[in-house]
Amino acid sequence: MCADNRFTEKKPSLPRLRLVLFLLAVPLLLLVSLMLGPSGVGFPDLSTPVGNAIASLRFSRMLMGLMTGAALAASGVVFQALLRNPLAEPYVLGVSGGAGLGATISILAGASLALPLSLPVIAFVSAVLTLMLVYGIASQGSGGQPSVYSLILSGVIVSAICSSIIMFLVSTASVDGMHNVIWWMLGSLQPASIAQQQFSALLITAGIAGTWALSSRLNALVLGREMAHYQGVNAGLVIVVGLLFSTLLAATAVSLSGMIGFVGLIVPHVMRASFGPDHRSLLPLAALGGGVFLVICDAVARTILAPIEIPVGVVTALVGGPFFLLILQRRMKQAWIA
Amino acid sequence: MTENALTFRDVSAGYKHRKVLDRVSFSLQAGEFVSLIGPNGSGKSTLLKTAAAFIKPHGGRVELFGRDVARLAPRERAALLGIVPQKLESPMAFTVEQIVTNGRVASMGLLGSVSSGDCDLVERAMIYTDVLGMRDRFFGELSGGEQQRVALAMVLAQEPKLIMLDESISHLDINHRNEVLQILLKLNREEQLTILLVSHDLSLSAAISDRLLLMQDGALKAAGIPQDVLRADLLSSVYNCDLQVRQDPYTGALQVSGPLEGQQRSPKTGCRVHVIAGGGSGIELFRRLLLEGHRVTAGVLNLLDSDAEAARALNIESVFDQPFSPIATATLEKAKRLSREADAVIVSHVPFGTGNLVNLDLAAEALKLGRRVYIATGIAGRDYTSGKQATAKVESLMKAGAVCWESLHELLAALHEQKTH
Repeated sequence: MCADNRFTEKKPSLPRLRLVLFLLAVPLLLLVSLMLGPSGVGFPDLSTPVGNAIASLRFSRMLMGLMTGAALAASGVVFQALLRNPLAEPYVLGVSGGAGLGATISILAGASLALPLSLPVIAFVSAVLTLMLVYGIASQGSGGQPSVYSLILSGVIVSAICSSIIMFLVSTASVDGMHNVIWWMLGSLQPASIAQQQFSALLITAGIAGTWALSSRLNALVLGREMAHYQGVNAGLVIVVGLLFSTLLAATAVSLSGMIGFVGLIVPHVMRASFGPDHRSLLPLAALGGGVFLVICDAVARTILAPIEIPVGVVTALVGGPFFLLILQRRMKQAWIA
Repeated sequence: MTENALTFRDVSAGYKHRKVLDRVSFSLQAGEFVSLIGPNGSGKSTLLKTAAAFIKPHGGRVELFGRDVARLAPRERAALLGIVPQKLESPMAFTVEQIVTNGRVASMGLLGSVSSGDCDLVERAMIYTDVLGMRDRFFGELSGGEQQRVALAMVLAQEPKLIMLDESISHLDINHRNEVLQILLKLNREEQLTILLVSHDLSLSAAISDRLLLMQDGALKAAGIPQDVLRADLLSSVYNCDLQVRQDPYTGALQVSGPLEGQQRSPKTGCRVHVIAGGGSGIELFRRLLLEGHRVTAGVLNLLDSDAEAARALNIESVFDQPFSPIATATLEKAKRLSREADAVIVSHVPFGTGNLVNLDLAAEALKLGRRVYIATGIAGRDYTSGKQATAKVESLMKAGAVCWESLHELLAALHEQKTH
């Protein structure tokens, strides 16, 4: 009796409080990010042309961060649900590596300079090809439905191959090309061209909306493909569409901001641990959380050693890592049954 | 005439390299309560998967309420058929209510919005299965039986017209098992819900079902009312063990009881048997004899033989000899001491060569002393001695009164009879 009361009475109020705090923190954190930059702490003076320029630069970096972070986190949520595994994320499955390879080739070939929209398209196409390759390798001998473990294993292998090809290409490239690629690979939220930003915003919005539309089916799929089938979910279709949408998200993020790790893996875990695994609420919350997280990390990255800007990926891992580990250690049980 | 809820027409199905169902045909009438019984691995779960089109049949046709299941949209199929799995697994920490809400997934809008009608169905399913009180608890923290009731609630929320339960109630305690069965019987009576229950509890199945379906090796062995299907001879051959069926004189309920019950009622009344085995022919024999409560000795066994390993592992008093050499006279004497004390000597399906031929002398001596001797049939096929000496010996033994046996079932029955006389 006692145990029942403890569980039924206390639980619902806590997530609600946590949700309110989170939603209040989002605009505050975004405002804080607008106050940070190499030119000094505080809101820039909008009456001067310099201040205006700084404000607009900080604002567009904020948008870049929101888009990239949201795309990576949402993509991670979907991969983890479809594979029913806490290790799944765009990097582990080789999707980011494939997108990175495509982007590297297009940067080195100069295609991205000629056609501003070619980068996200090529990144997406190569990411899908990579995913198909990973899926194909993993399905060998399993009769068409690969196990999660063989998917992750072949994803890690294909990912390693992609990054070694990238390194090979970089080492043989001209100095200029090498500089471009390495800078892009380190990951940064330097605003891309307006056209690319708009196009990416469109793709990311479509991707998040698409995956959100699948969210109740994702819940059912977490109970296994067979169970989802019995409940009237077209499991095969949902898996394919879900993989395509999440690949689109990851590839667009990579083409926009380079290889930024950690967000796609950890943000979904923390949001799941904080707000529960129901994808109908988890997906939008994780997208928001990923966006804000990346915005704050970028603000720290450009401010802390100003005028030197450190790669944002360094901050996501160095600052975010311990913080999230702390949360996860205490709340992992609310996310996964391990 | 009532409609058929489920019809299998000549269905063969299975997995990539293994055919499981072999031309199965049967039908369930709408509103029937049917139990599907059969030994492990006889294809019961595969039958369920095929009925729900999770596995495509190699041949034949499955119909749900008159419609080809392969052509039903997933959502239509879910409105007709729900399956409660053996065990529901959720790697993520969903609450009970979130799990049950999954039952409505097929009717949810794109953003997963749940209509108030859906909410009521979820609520009602939780009340029916007595899980409402744990709605906010994590599914993974519940006990196995509680998880099973949540799984049932999820399928009830789906509101199918036919529910299949895949051994779903075997983990429930007696109280909740009865409760769940009452829910099922009530839904069956009042809402004409058709139910197919996969169960290992034969007596219980007989008590609650309109009809039983008995499966063996991927084929339907028998179908009909419980009295027709629960026949001792049929069950004993399908389950490959000695089963009895008794009918309660007052209630008419059928009770299936196995050899275990007999053993528990009269412990330590087994015979002392000496087994002549070798070449792996004794392993299953040892196991079953020990299970039946007999006291087993064995020998002479070749030290490298797998039967010698088994005898050592099962703590069977045995006599061993070195491999690749004829059995020494001293060793044979030791074995004779064991066989003399036995009530019966059993010769397994062991191959005979010049090396172990003298083992048959143990049997001959026992027969002279008035002990029963059971010899496995088909000696000619296992006789590798020159001039077929083993066959000749066995033939003379048979003339002297030895009994031959073919299946373990037969042998154990004979021993049982010997014991009681």
